[in-house]
Amino acid sequence: MNKWILGCLLFCVSVQAETFHQNAQYCLVCHGSNAQGNDAISAPNLAILPDWYLSAQLQAFQSGWRGHQTKDAYSKEMMAVAQSMSADDVKRAIGFITSFEPIKAVETVAGNASHGKTLFQTCVACHGMAAEGNEAMGAPPLAGQYSWYLIRQLQAYRGGLRGGEDKDARGAVMRQIASTLQHDQDLHDLVAYINTLGPANTQLQAKTVQTTDTKK
Amino acid sequence: MTIPDHKQINNKDLSRREALLWIGKVGGSAAMLQAAGLFGLLTTAPAAAQTAPVKLQPLTKGRKSVLILGAGISGLVAAYELGKAGYQCKILEASHRAGGRNFTIRHGDFIDELGNPQFCNFDKDPDLYFNAGPARIPAHHTAILHYCREFAVEMQMFCNYNKNCYTQDDNAFGGKAVRIREYEADTRGFFSELMAKSIQAQAKLDAPFDDIDKQKLIEFCRAYGDLSSDFTYEGSERAGYKSGGILSPGVLKKPRAFADLLQSNFWAGAMHFGEISDQSAALMTPVGGMDKIVDAFLSRLAGKVQLKAQVQKVQLLPQGVEVSYWLDGQLQTEQADYCLNCIPAQLMAGIENNFPADYVGVMRQLQRGKLSKIALQAKERFWEKEQIYSGISWTNQDITQIWYPSHGMFKAKGILLGAYSWDPAISDRFSAMTHKERIATAIAQGAKVHADYGKYIEQGNSICWQRMNHMLGCGAVWTEELQKTSFATLQAPVGRHYMVGDQVSYHPGWQEGAVRSAWYAMESIQQQEQQKQQVAV
Repeated sequence: MNKWILGCLLFCVSVQAETFHQNAQYCLVCHGSNAQGNDAISAPNLAILPDWYLSAQLQAFQSGWRGHQTKDAYSKEMMAVAQSMSADDVKRAIGFITSFEPIKAVETVAGNASHGKTLFQTCVACHGMAAEGNEAMGAPPLAGQYSWYLIRQLQAYRGGLRGGEDKDARGAVMRQIASTLQHDQDLHDLVAYINTLGPANTQLQAKTVQTTDTKK
Repeated sequence: MTIPDHKQINNKDLSRREALLWIGKVGGSAAMLQAAGLFGLLTTAPAAAQTAPVKLQPLTKGRKSVLILGAGISGLVAAYELGKAGYQCKILEASHRAGGRNFTIRHGDFIDELGNPQFCNFDKDPDLYFNAGPARIPAHHTAILHYCREFAVEMQMFCNYNKNCYTQDDNAFGGKAVRIREYEADTRGFFSELMAKSIQAQAKLDAPFDDIDKQKLIEFCRAYGDLSSDFTYEGSERAGYKSGGILSPGVLKKPRAFADLLQSNFWAGAMHFGEISDQSAALMTPVGGMDKIVDAFLSRLAGKVQLKAQVQKVQLLPQGVEVSYWLDGQLQTEQADYCLNCIPAQLMAGIENNFPADYVGVMRQLQRGKLSKIALQAKERFWEKEQIYSGISWTNQDITQIWYPSHGMFKAKGILLGAYSWDPAISDRFSAMTHKERIATAIAQGAKVHADYGKYIEQGNSICWQRMNHMLGCGAVWTEELQKTSFATLQAPVGRHYMVGDQVSYHPGWQEGAVRSAWYAMESIQQQEQQKQQVAV
């Protein structure tokens, strides 16, 4: 009997290993086939993110800094995935994701970019002139990210869904800054300006549509 | 399919006085129609248009290849039919298994939920299985039944509606579960009595009803509600006898007060569930699990299904389609003359492609269907001791339903459906829980329907379709507006590429939609081929 149970357990573990861990493309199901994100299911662009930031955020999800709040349904989805990943899984996922070229997300928000440029001056110190990010400051690149994602994160910082954990020092800084942007229009304007910045690659959609020679 | 949202309607709690006033207004056909509409009796759609099964002409010359993305029902149908007609088919399936949402779980099966992987922990027993996706087939779903017949899939009846099951509502009868037969007999009785008496009180009905019609209408009320000769409702044997009835005279149960019956939200939706054309008796299901249909297809598609092949890129070519996919950590690329794509549109929107912007634009707007089911293994078929064999109990708690198996009567154990929600807010709550929390919630809520529920439950599994790997949803959610403006866009081919699946039907979430969508695409492919041949001649 004990033998049988042991056999069953071993079988289960091996099936799980095969179906779960070997799947290096796991992230792409939600985040798009080039890790460029997928707004249809509210998954952000990962292809623009450097390894140190991916690592920090996976750690934030694993430790529950992000996603533990009931109201934060999207982060909750990612938290469950992160918490099911081993240290090796995390390493492999980051290696895989950073192997993709950065692709600029499809723009989904309109705003007053020149007003946004003024607001952006506050962001420059950490995120850089071109919103390219700065590891030393722990500030991720913003350029090329989905507009709705940036807005949602600003709202999350402002509303206390993100950056409220004691150990999350970088998040706390961002929370303070986000709280100065009280009007949603400011968020739109700011993001509209960020949309005008890099990365150098054109939008995937725009790039590929031009090559099609098949008419409907 | 639109399931009446009884939870929303429940906000309009009717007081007894309001109800009487409302029903007392009955004087003509218009008022009655309105009442019928309010009670959800006029909202069922007619049977779907019946068309004959697809019949592809065998390819006479040349070799045509078809890549099929996804081994759900639409992909399997396409590979089977196109293969019969001489097309070279290959299915690329991202998951470790074929069948898509046609998913029957048994002992040891892997449930690939993102962040929440589980194994099915039922005992190893042919009767202990659970249809986590489709579970029932109505008779007018002739397309999926066509394959059940053709493949001789053994079928049994499936019961959706059983008067011996319960309705439980925290706002009515002190939260105690009531047998559906009692609830229905009493509501129909009181409703009919009020109707009969208010019609009697009218000197004359509005045209086109004459006096004979008026009399018939009153008699209809008597028959509908099982009224006494003076048109009062004094209880009915339909509610089940309180005692006796076989060797001694039957004693009627005392009817419940109409005001109390109205406190429950059962009347607002669930009570009429069995009237919905897709849900009404008689329904069928394959013996041994819904995936017997998948097995039947797979046995005819040997060597044509590649599992764990995750699509990376779909490129339209002037004379075909090129698909790249991950297999064993390597990127593979294949070209074909045609591509039938049943990848969920919301995921396809994230896969690299060179589709026209309006085509992808539709995919980006489709929402994830949020449905979840929880299966519970009971160590004893306690429901049989309560004279329940199959059917559904209803509750206004998040679990919404409890299903009793339509098979395996008198066996030692059984698999219950412990929760089934199609309300996105409820499914969000379940999906945010750990698997353990889901089972605990299902047991705690089920205990309001069956005393000692937890005592009988040994283990369970949960399937939150919006969290299932490679699916991220169950049934595309189209708004009516999007259907009007964009359904045709997604249904039409782009070059040699077709989107298929239940998502490209007006019946998302049903296998019938998947089969008919595949038939539609294959007929279109055949037309393209015939036109080319004519041009060549």
